[in-house]
Amino acid sequence: MAEVSLSNVKKDFGAISIIKGIDLEIKDGEFCVFVGPSGCGKSTLLRMIAGLEDISQGALRIGGRDMTKIGPSDRGVAMVFQSYALYPHMTVGENIGFGLRMTGHEKAEIAKRTAAAAKMLQLEPLLERKPGQLSGGQRQRVAIGRAIVRNPEVFLFDEPLSNLDASLRVQMRGEISRLHQDLGATMIYVTHDQVEAMTMADKIVVLSAGRIEQVGSPLELYHRPKNLFVAGFIGSPKMNFIPVDARPHNGGIEVTLPGGATLQLAGTLAAAGKMTLGLRPEHASATGAGDAVLPAKVQLAEHLGSETLFFVSLADGTEIAVKADGLAAERPGDTMQIGFPARACHLFDADGNAVLNGDLTR
Amino acid sequence: MFPTPIQKASGPTRLAYQIALPIALVIWLFPLIGVAVTSLRPASDLAAGNYFGVPSSIAFENYASVFRDSPIGWYILNSFKVTIPTVIGAVGLSCLTGFALAVYGFRANLWVFFAFVAGNFIPFQILMVPVRDLTLKAGLYDSTLGLVLFHVAFQTGFCTLFMRNFIKGMPFALIESARVEGVSEWQIFRHIVLPLMRPAIAALSVLVFTFVWNDYFWATVLVQGQHAMPVTAGLYALNGQWVAAWHLVSAGSIVAALPPVLMFFLMQRHFIAGLTLGATKG
Ligand SMILES: Nc1ncnc2c1ncn2[C@@H]1O[C@H](COP(=O)(O)OP(=O)(O)O)[C@@H](O)[C@H]1O
Ligand SMILES: [Mg+2]
Repeated sequence: MAEVSLSNVKKDFGAISIIKGIDLEIKDGEFCVFVGPSGCGKSTLLRMIAGLEDISQGALRIGGRDMTKIGPSDRGVAMVFQSYALYPHMTVGENIGFGLRMTGHEKAEIAKRTAAAAKMLQLEPLLERKPGQLSGGQRQRVAIGRAIVRNPEVFLFDEPLSNLDASLRVQMRGEISRLHQDLGATMIYVTHDQVEAMTMADKIVVLSAGRIEQVGSPLELYHRPKNLFVAGFIGSPKMNFIPVDARPHNGGIEVTLPGGATLQLAGTLAAAGKMTLGLRPEHASATGAGDAVLPAKVQLAEHLGSETLFFVSLADGTEIAVKADGLAAERPGDTMQIGFPARACHLFDADGNAVLNGDLTR
Repeated sequence: MFPTPIQKASGPTRLAYQIALPIALVIWLFPLIGVAVTSLRPASDLAAGNYFGVPSSIAFENYASVFRDSPIGWYILNSFKVTIPTVIGAVGLSCLTGFALAVYGFRANLWVFFAFVAGNFIPFQILMVPVRDLTLKAGLYDSTLGLVLFHVAFQTGFCTLFMRNFIKGMPFALIESARVEGVSEWQIFRHIVLPLMRPAIAALSVLVFTFVWNDYFWATVLVQGQHAMPVTAGLYALNGQWVAAWHLVSAGSIVAALPPVLMFFLMQRHFIAGLTLGATKG
């Protein structure tokens, strides 16, 4: 069993506080992704779990054992670095077996485990090569192989795919997911790419400036973002944010959209005020179907074949994105009718916290 | 590209280059060529006043007589007895100090590092008298061991600077990755850092070897007797013995200069740049 639990974990570099109090439970066998913009402290948090950075405050437990003050070599975790960190003077086989050799495993055992890892990652023909003779994707696989031979209970990945090109990234994403299914180990994966987070995670932890914004499954974060940050970070293209006036009305909420149209939303509101309406591009209707319809001018049309992405401006100049059919014919300069379905709309108060989340099952 | 490759330069520039280069080379090598030619000149040429002309015959026997008639073989052996332990000592120590200073962020790290660097700025000649007194008191005066100890002490500062910076240039993730794998610090040094330092070790070995082999100052300050005298000081002694036998002095000098050259060619294949290629993304 290797659940990872952090309680009020903090990290300061000198006087600067980088991790500002993290409470998190990661279950045994879970694939947990830390996601957030560059510089928010994801790597630092991961390195604290690995033992490469001291924990300034708080406690870390792995598999029920207090690891706060334990060195990296005794934590029983394996880490795959963004830069791969392969030993350049050793062959692929030596790289994979190095940790076992240094920790006193028998030769036959090392050979057996190296062979098994190589087989799993299709590295068998490359075992005699040096890292310098490998492609990026192959190096990445060696780095993963080095982690799996040790049978760790917890795997840590720090942006392992960010140095690969797009198609290889998609392929490796699948391979890591498959690895997780085969090994059943706990995995913690750091990325700044929300697509990676959405496609791989059981649980996503959205970080911003050293704090957790929200923890949840990919669909929870997509459908029920707690605040503007999460709403804007998860989903591609980004959720549209439209400034609105909102007030309680007939046991529901009435919002005034740019241009004066009103939209009735379910839910309750304590007081009227300026708020932000959130609507995902895929939920806005380019054909004018919805509970409120706004005229908009097309600024840009991206034809992706399967779909068309329109960037349109509303009456007050707010730009929003709308996903439409791949055959939609409007061109820049044309006027479109954009439909706002009430059940898909999110509402955020002036502090950015969600007052109302859309509910597509309504 | 800067500077422009000479093959791409204009005609006159190229011509000037082709004329100037051999001239510069000859001027540069002139003393060496002079010594080399003299070392092959028969004694009769010198007696006849043929100092700079073409030798009347090639006298390889000069080299034989240097070894036969003087203790130069013994001096060379002494030089090896001083130089090799110094190279091993200074380079070995600085691998350790460089690793410690590059990898561990202990509190006094920078100050210790500065202390090593600052040592290089002291003109060592001013230490002549205290060092001599110290060796006398320690019973190391007039022995190769004394020379070795003092050379190691004086060389380690520069070597540490060199090694520390070399290790700092390695990707630190290599060390962190090994730590997470459960590898001990000594094993990290022995199996990861040391193999990657090979080019630095080779370069430093040649530098220290050449410097210590050619040292004349400490050899005369710390040694008096023939039994411990390195070849640099020994040659000077021969100067006295062979007052006008320049052909022999020249032959002795050439012999004495050979080991550093050999050392360079021996170590050359280890200076492979980019040994860490492929460690990281690249
Ligand atoms: N050793 C360090 N000393 C000082 N500041 C650091 C150190 N390591 C990271 N930081 C700072 O901590 C912040 C978070 O860094 P990091 O965890 O690498 O972010 P990311 O989320 O992009 O992985 C950054 O602002 C970085 O400058
Ligand atoms: Mg990072």
